[in-house]
Parts: sequence; structure tokens; C-alpha cells
Amino acid sequence: MRIRLFASRLPLSGRVAAAIVAALWLVALCSPLFAERARTIQLDVRLQAPSVAHPFGTDDLGRDLLARVVAATPISLAIGLVAATVSLGIGFAVGATAGYFGGVVDLVLSRLIEVMLCFPVLFLLLALAAFLPPSPVTVIVAIGLTTWAGDARYARTEILRIRELDYARAARAMGASTPRILVRHLLPNALPPLIVSAAFGVGWAILAEAALSFLGVGLPAPAVSWGGILSSAPNWIEEAWWIALFPGLALFLTVAAYNLLAEGLRAVTTEGRSL
Amino acid sequence: MIVYVARRLALAVPTLFGIAVIVFLLLHLAPGGPGTGGADAARRVSGKAAEEMRRLYGLDRPLPEQFARWMGRVVRLDLGESFVDHRPVSERIREALPHTLALNGLALLFALGLAIPLGVLAGGSPESGFDRASSAALFALYSLPTFWAALLLQTLFAVQLRWLPLYGTASDAAPAGLAGLADRLAHLALPVTCLTYGTLAFVARLVRSGVAEARSSDYVLAARARGASRARAIWGHAFPNALLPVITLAGLLLPALLSGSVIVERIFAWPGLGRLYFDSILARDYPVILALSLLSAVATLAATLVADVALAAADPRVRDGAVG
Repeated sequence: MRIRLFASRLPLSGRVAAAIVAALWLVALCSPLFAERARTIQLDVRLQAPSVAHPFGTDDLGRDLLARVVAATPISLAIGLVAATVSLGIGFAVGATAGYFGGVVDLVLSRLIEVMLCFPVLFLLLALAAFLPPSPVTVIVAIGLTTWAGDARYARTEILRIRELDYARAARAMGASTPRILVRHLLPNALPPLIVSAAFGVGWAILAEAALSFLGVGLPAPAVSWGGILSSAPNWIEEAWWIALFPGLALFLTVAAYNLLAEGLRAVTTEGRSL
Repeated sequence: MIVYVARRLALAVPTLFGIAVIVFLLLHLAPGGPGTGGADAARRVSGKAAEEMRRLYGLDRPLPEQFARWMGRVVRLDLGESFVDHRPVSERIREALPHTLALNGLALLFALGLAIPLGVLAGGSPESGFDRASSAALFALYSLPTFWAALLLQTLFAVQLRWLPLYGTASDAAPAGLAGLADRLAHLALPVTCLTYGTLAFVARLVRSGVAEARSSDYVLAARARGASRARAIWGHAFPNALLPVITLAGLLLPALLSGSVIVERIFAWPGLGRLYFDSILARDYPVILALSLLSAVATLAATLVADVALAAADPRVRDGAVG
């Protein structure tokens, strides 16, 4: 009911974005149909420009690029979603704890957040992804462990704001336990901005996974993601522009859709709230 | 003001310590290190390098002792030798630094130079045609993956049109004098563009929303009522206030630029710090990895400190602890 109310207030751009995201997940669901075609190596048709038979062209092994881009959809989307959830979970836990308890706890956790923000994210990401055994779990853990600081700062501010509101004071006065106040009273009220954060986070995480796979330290073969397809594009940049164009376009479209959705959600959640 | 600066400096000490701990933890992810006993064979460093690491970092000693030893060397500015060519790490960093500074310095200059007028113009008349068009363009840039943009620019300007070189810092037979300078600038054009647009989009959006918000505030209306021109009210009153959040985040532009450098320098074969870091990751050159992580984080901390002090100087509310 609340969700429907939410959707009806989304601006047009947000609704378009939501539709694109839904369509992408639908493509991901249908992608097993293309798996066979994405794997088929045909050296006699390697590096062919887009045509009716191969709308996105073929790669250096003659594999159909359209099939490969479709086959990569679920991996890119799922890793983005899970990694963003992990990142948001850590960020919320750290930020909410700091904001709720204040004092020394806040001082220590705020330093930790500051420390994480000082590092170039890609430096830490590369180290984690390259040093831990290569697997989807490694990529998710690496993204989750390195990108939570922004969410934490956000959650801290949000919890600081609402912990002094009447309903939180009332719950405390009635003797509710701290975890209960945090989970039952503060979390639901901090939720709208967190959903916005999560939507931005998914776009971010998809980009991070793509960057890692592009640099060759992401998902191990035979798993294929958009970044992984793009990693071979520089070798063929003189001969085959389509290897760079289409997987990147899918990536850009997905990230843009999630970001646009996040902006729409932000417009809904901040509407009528005084600054 | 002095109290504020002292407080801020005191808070930086534990942060500095935390940075050192995180970097130290990176070492312990290393194969052969205590953290990764069973890493697969392909990722294991050679027996000799593992031996060298044990000796260098005293990996057989208890953790606190290892940390103390390492810190002891770092504070004496001894960053060790590279495993790859056995030259001092500081020397390798000194060689790469100017290339990265040129790239990022130009990128920052262009990003701020374009973002501020763009943000002020758009924020000065919200919902106008210009605002909508620039918002849409900035949004697209914001979502554009750097490596894809780099590949597209290379395809268009280097392969198809042949206006600009594909990669490198200069042509092999670089001409001297003015033509040589032109050659270097041509090599800078694409990588600088790729590093610029992300920061540009980020800062322009920040300035735009700040100006748009300040535009309807009392002090801007008051300035208009006193007869200040529209431009004067926006640039003289709304803009300085919109700049405050930009100053706050200025320090954090540094790690973002360095992240971008890793990707851009790899694609454009640019021998800077980002390339050095990536090559060191692939070669498991731990002394270089640790040194670069530490230095970049410390540089960011210093930049945020400067930004915070600048903010306190600009905004009395900050140093009195009323906001921020």
C-alpha cells in the first residue's frame, strides 16, 4: 500500500527509470536462452561488424556479441544488487550505532568512516579483488567492504536527527530496549532516505564490478559480465569498435536507470520535508 | 578559530593511525601472509619474494611487533625497495608523480572552471531551458563509466578521425620546441577529458542545487530589494554560500581523481601513479602498494584538513560548532 503510494508520486523520469530497470531484470530472466549462443565460438565469423545475423557484431572469437551482452545481464545486475546491499548493511550498522550512542562510540566510528573516505576506493577494491581468491563472493565482499563509508555518514546524520524526535523519546521512556528502538522505531523512519541511498548504491556497485572486470581482476572465467566483455575491446580498437560500444551501452543504460530511479525516489521522499 | 584548528588537528591523529592500520591489514591479505594460508597456487608469490616479505615485514613476529616495526620505518620516511626492480619505492613514486599531477591538475582545473559557471547559471534560473538541458547532460556524464568513455573517445578521435594519438605521453620521434609542446598537449587531450567529466558533473550539480536553494533565501531577496542586479545577487550573494558544501567535499575529490587515474592511465598507457599502483597489484609488489595507499590516504586527510580550516575561516557557524 505504501509502495503503491510511493510509485504514484514518482516523477515521470523516475517511472521511466523504474520501467527500464524492470525490463533489464526481465532480460536477465530470459538470458539463459542466449547462453548457448553466447558460448559458441565461430572463428570464420570473427570480428564481424553489426549485421542482421549479428546485430551487435561478433567478438575476436566469432561469438555473437548481442548474445554475450544479454548473457552478462544477470551477473552484472545481481552482483550490483547484492554488493550494494552488503555495503548499505555495513554502512547503516556503523552509521546508526554512531548516531544512536554518540559520545565515545560516535567519536571512534566517525574516525573509522573518515579513514575509509580517505582512501581512493579503487585502490582498496583492486587490492581486495586481486589478493583474495577470484570468485563472485570476492567481488561482492570487496565492493561491500570498500564503499560503505558514504552510507554510514548518511545513516549517522539521519539517526542523529530522528533519535531526539518525540516517538523515539516516548519509546525510550516506556523502557524499550536499545535494539528494539533502533530496529522498530528508528530504522523504519530512516528507511526512505536509505532506499534512495540503496538505489544510488546499486548503480555504483554495478560500475565498480564492471571496472574490476575490465581491469582483469573481477569475475573469473567463464563468468561473463559487461566489464569483462569490454576488457578485450582495447585490443581490437582499430578493427572492431562494436566490442567497445554495445557492452558499454548496456552498462551505461543500467547505471543511468538506477541513478534516475534514485533521483526520482529522492524527490518523493524529501517532498514536503523542511530542510 | 585557533581552538577549532587545534580540535580538528587532534581528531586527525586517530584518523592517521586508522589509515596506517588499514594499510597494514592490506599486507596481511597478501599470499604467504598470515591471512591467506591457502590461496591458490596461481596467485602465490614466488618462494624468493615470500622469503623477502617475511624478512622485510617480520611476518613471523607477533602482529603488534610487526606493526610497530613497519610504522617505525614509515615515520623515518623509509618506504622500502620495490620487489620488481629493487629500486627505492620513493624513487619510483617520484618518477610517476609528475605525470599524474599533470593529468589530474589539468582535469581539476577544467572541472572547476566549467562546473562553477555552469552550476551558477543553471541554479540561478531553476527549471529554465538551460537548467533542464544542463541537468540532463550532467546526469548523463554522472552515470558514464570512465573506461567506456575512454574507449569511445579513442575510437572516434584516434582511430576514425585520426586527430589525436591513441595513447602514450608523447610521440616516439617527438619534435622539439613548440611542435613538441603541441604533441604533448595532443597526448593529454583524451585522458584529461576522461578524468574531467566525472568531477565536473559532481561539482556542477552541487553548485547548482546550492545556488537554486540560496536564490530564494532572505539575504538574496534583501540584496535584490536594495537594488542589486540579478547577476550581482546570484554571483555576489547566492554563489558564495553555495560554495560552502563544495569546499567541504573538495578534499574528497583527491581520492576520486586517483581512482579515476588507475583506469585512465591504464587505458592511455600513462606512466603515472595510477598505472604504477595497478602494475604493482598485478606484480604483487607490496612495498609499492603499501606506500601508494598510505600516501594517497594521508594526502587526502591533509586536503580535508585544509578544506575544513578554509570552511571554518569562511563560515563562523562552523568554528562555533553550530553546523557541520
